[in-house]
Amino acid sequence: MLDTPLVPTEQAVSLAPPAVAMRRADAPKDASAVDRVDVAVIGGGINGTGVARDFALRGLRVAVFERNDLAFGASGNSSGMIHGGVRYLSQSPHVTKTSCRDSGYIQHIAPHLLFRIPFLMPLRGGPKARIVLELVDAYFRAYDDYQPLKRGEPHCRLDAGDLAQLEPGLVGGLVGGVTFDEWGVDGVRLCVHNAVDAIEHGSRVLVHTTVESIARAPSSGDPYRYVVSGRDRLRGRSTDVRARVVVNATGAWSPITAALGGLPQAPVRVRPGKGIHVVLDRRITNYGILSEAIDGRQVFIEPWQNVSVLGTTDDDYYGDLDDVRATSEEVRYLVQGVARTLPGVRLARAIGTYAGVRPTLYEYGRNEDALSRDHRVVDHSVDGAPGVYSMIGGKLASYRLFAQELCDHVAPHDLGNTVPCSTHTRPLPGGERVPDSGQLGACFGVTPVAARRLVYRHGERALRVLERTSRCASERDTTCACEPVLEAEVRYVLREELARTVADVARRTRLGLGACGGMRCAARCGQIVASELDLTPSEGRAMALEFLEQQARSRVVALGPEQARQEALLAAHVRSSLGSAP
Amino acid sequence: MNLSPSSERSTAHVVVIGSGIAGAAASIAAATVTPSVVMLDGGSGASTLATGAIDRVFWKDSQEEPAKALSEGAQAIVAALEGYVVPVLGCAVVTMAGMVRRADGHDAALLDVSALGAGRVGVVDCHRPGWNARELARAWGEGYAPFESSLLRHTDESLLPDADLAARHDDAGRLGWLAERLREALARARTRWTGIVLPPMLGVERPRAQALSQSVGLPCGEAVGSPGGPAGLRFESARDRALSSARAVKVMARASAVERYGETWRVTTEDGLVLQAYSVVFATGGLIGGGIAYAPSEALLATALPPHVKPPLQLTLSAPVRLGARGRLLEAPGSLCGFAPEALARPFARDSLVEAAGILAEGLESGQSRDGRPRGLFAAGDVVADAARAWLGALSQGAQAGADAAQSALSRATVASGAKPAIGPAIRL
Repeated sequence: MLDTPLVPTEQAVSLAPPAVAMRRADAPKDASAVDRVDVAVIGGGINGTGVARDFALRGLRVAVFERNDLAFGASGNSSGMIHGGVRYLSQSPHVTKTSCRDSGYIQHIAPHLLFRIPFLMPLRGGPKARIVLELVDAYFRAYDDYQPLKRGEPHCRLDAGDLAQLEPGLVGGLVGGVTFDEWGVDGVRLCVHNAVDAIEHGSRVLVHTTVESIARAPSSGDPYRYVVSGRDRLRGRSTDVRARVVVNATGAWSPITAALGGLPQAPVRVRPGKGIHVVLDRRITNYGILSEAIDGRQVFIEPWQNVSVLGTTDDDYYGDLDDVRATSEEVRYLVQGVARTLPGVRLARAIGTYAGVRPTLYEYGRNEDALSRDHRVVDHSVDGAPGVYSMIGGKLASYRLFAQELCDHVAPHDLGNTVPCSTHTRPLPGGERVPDSGQLGACFGVTPVAARRLVYRHGERALRVLERTSRCASERDTTCACEPVLEAEVRYVLREELARTVADVARRTRLGLGACGGMRCAARCGQIVASELDLTPSEGRAMALEFLEQQARSRVVALGPEQARQEALLAAHVRSSLGSAP
Repeated sequence: MNLSPSSERSTAHVVVIGSGIAGAAASIAAATVTPSVVMLDGGSGASTLATGAIDRVFWKDSQEEPAKALSEGAQAIVAALEGYVVPVLGCAVVTMAGMVRRADGHDAALLDVSALGAGRVGVVDCHRPGWNARELARAWGEGYAPFESSLLRHTDESLLPDADLAARHDDAGRLGWLAERLREALARARTRWTGIVLPPMLGVERPRAQALSQSVGLPCGEAVGSPGGPAGLRFESARDRALSSARAVKVMARASAVERYGETWRVTTEDGLVLQAYSVVFATGGLIGGGIAYAPSEALLATALPPHVKPPLQLTLSAPVRLGARGRLLEAPGSLCGFAPEALARPFARDSLVEAAGILAEGLESGQSRDGRPRGLFAAGDVVADAARAWLGALSQGAQAGADAAQSALSRATVASGAKPAIGPAIRL
């Protein structure tokens, strides 16, 4: 049992050959060079970065391993809301309550990152329409009890005339409906803020670093009893970390991660549920609007930052977690569902899609929508691996609470640390104060729109981004005109926010995600990445091309007439200036 | 010349639909055979969005091939368009995306870096969107270095669109000011410079690189920029000059239909103009130019199902031609929900349907008429199925189509002249 893997199983043999793992654990290249941390967190999504920050704020030293990029999976591909979970009110009201309470905390620690999305829930006419309206009204009256927790407005009951006035594009013989209040958020920024704060409190965050094995350290007396070995997927370097506690926060990847440590997969099994979203080129409505898909599922359109987002599906997923893509089938399902209530959506220009896989708690024999959205901590001491934990399930809205639950147990129990949680009182980086973007723009000579977007993404740290332009005036240049993104921000996220590729920059800044599909900015961004990270110019170009192709692939499934023309122009331009060959 | 409403029908030997490089080449070539040529210009397309590097086929395909001479007809068009350079051995240009690339030819405002002597190429350092001299020099390679000089005269110029800045350099005084700044900078520098690369900014009326080079005393020219820059505008003005000296008539109108009319063709425009012609050249462009539209059955409907299905790509005017790709006819999908776009458009794949589809050449009477159908329909450029989407390729094809169309029109007009009044050289419009 003392040699690796933690528990010999067939998976362990196949995924982490004991010989390799043993050699690593027995004879580390240089014992002093191996970093010693209190906690090794695997996974750089919202659970992983959230838990890393929580531990770090308690004064513990953490190392985070992320196989792809921060927020690469479900965290960065969600509906972009820290919603109160009104959908779960009847099945698991405590999920709703905790979601709402934590939504309130997130507003407090990252005020710049939240924007209000008023939702409309229109109801169609029918024999029981009046009763349904009464029921819905009552349901939302119950939800109103939780709204104060997140500074939400209570619901309003609307008649058909009110609905037509609020959104004239609605159709379907509506008899009335209700409003309810939710908060939008950029899930990627939330993860990045958590990771940056963890780093500023002494942690290491290794992105693009996959964990190859989790092994037990050779000497039994050493409290740093686990060796987590990672390999940088971009550079090939290996990093070993000795840790007292290991947290598996890999979402849908959880069973794969468990297998790396030779742990049984059954307790960490999730039911991967794929969800896709379609992005339209602008805000085609000022309200989030619920509609009904052909199978009776609830789907929606929401105004999100400067675009509209259609969501979402929930289907069992059997594919590659590193390459989750929407299909045109799914896009048509969503568009059909939303068009039933808001037909104008068919005329709108889709500029992209994104997809993620929810790590829903495992259960066999139930419909995807009926599955619990709860979260659970799995303690692997029963599997013979004390100090190893898995975080299963969870939602963006309650990530902080989930992290706190885990740390409140692990910090005193495994690490003898009794510092209380402070993640709900201490602001995230940039969340201390929201600067006035008009003033900021005037002060640094950038357009008000660019300043506004910058403040949204960085809060008070927009100042740090803009201070770069005082040192180097050319950083005031706009790199991506659609969003817009200044060169200073591109360099800032490469220096300070762990971005390492063009796609990473796009994830953090929304560069290249607009209507032009990166035609005017991807190559320039590749040059900046190459210069900041000391890569060759051709490596920068290759990254730009890879980003352009990935994005084009995600757009094509929602291809419409106008975007088709733009795609052809983009392809022609890329071919002529970058020379991409099919 | 007056354009008449539909009641007073005008007749031309050749009507060319489209004003991009294929249409311009066809019009100029046809005008050398017959003076009765009308080109319909429906607005800017892919040629106006081109960035100045010109190729016969996709340049990566031609990289290892020996240079091929252009056909005589094509050479004549290049000469007529004055402002384009097509060296027999090809050339090399630098792109703002950070590449040095081969090309078969270039807009004369671009700098041909393959023709420079020994020394360093200066990359002018200035604040322009997407232009960072240090990084571009690094990306282009060892022979390039930043070159300190001021280019911008007014404060608005660091944010001005490329084409607007370029337009300011059509002014001789302004160009002189620029030359003076560059000369000053050269005098200060110790390095031996062999040429100077600037952002896209050297004129929209005409390429001003040569004038600049002469007064600076060193080859100066632009790098390849983004679509929508000055190169496209320079194309438009070069084309208009070439058309008027060839005496082809340009009419600003979008064609909406081409129909049989006895032995001739009738072309109707969106604003009701009707033209009669012996030959019609389709040079309407592909998806970028607006000659072909992606219009799946379901797209414009807010209802759950479309009433009928049709092929997802269509010609944007009604005409008796059929679209296809890879030699096969484009068919309607077996789905009321439309074509699966993944199958239609593989990103960046040149043979994907969205890019390859066009008029099937087989459906055209390009010379000989089989089964007694009327002759006189021709196609050139991006609108042709499976054609290489390249500027010089479209020019060659256009030149050929224009010459053929005019020949065909002439021979049929002569035959018809017994029965009908001959069509005079000066057409009455």
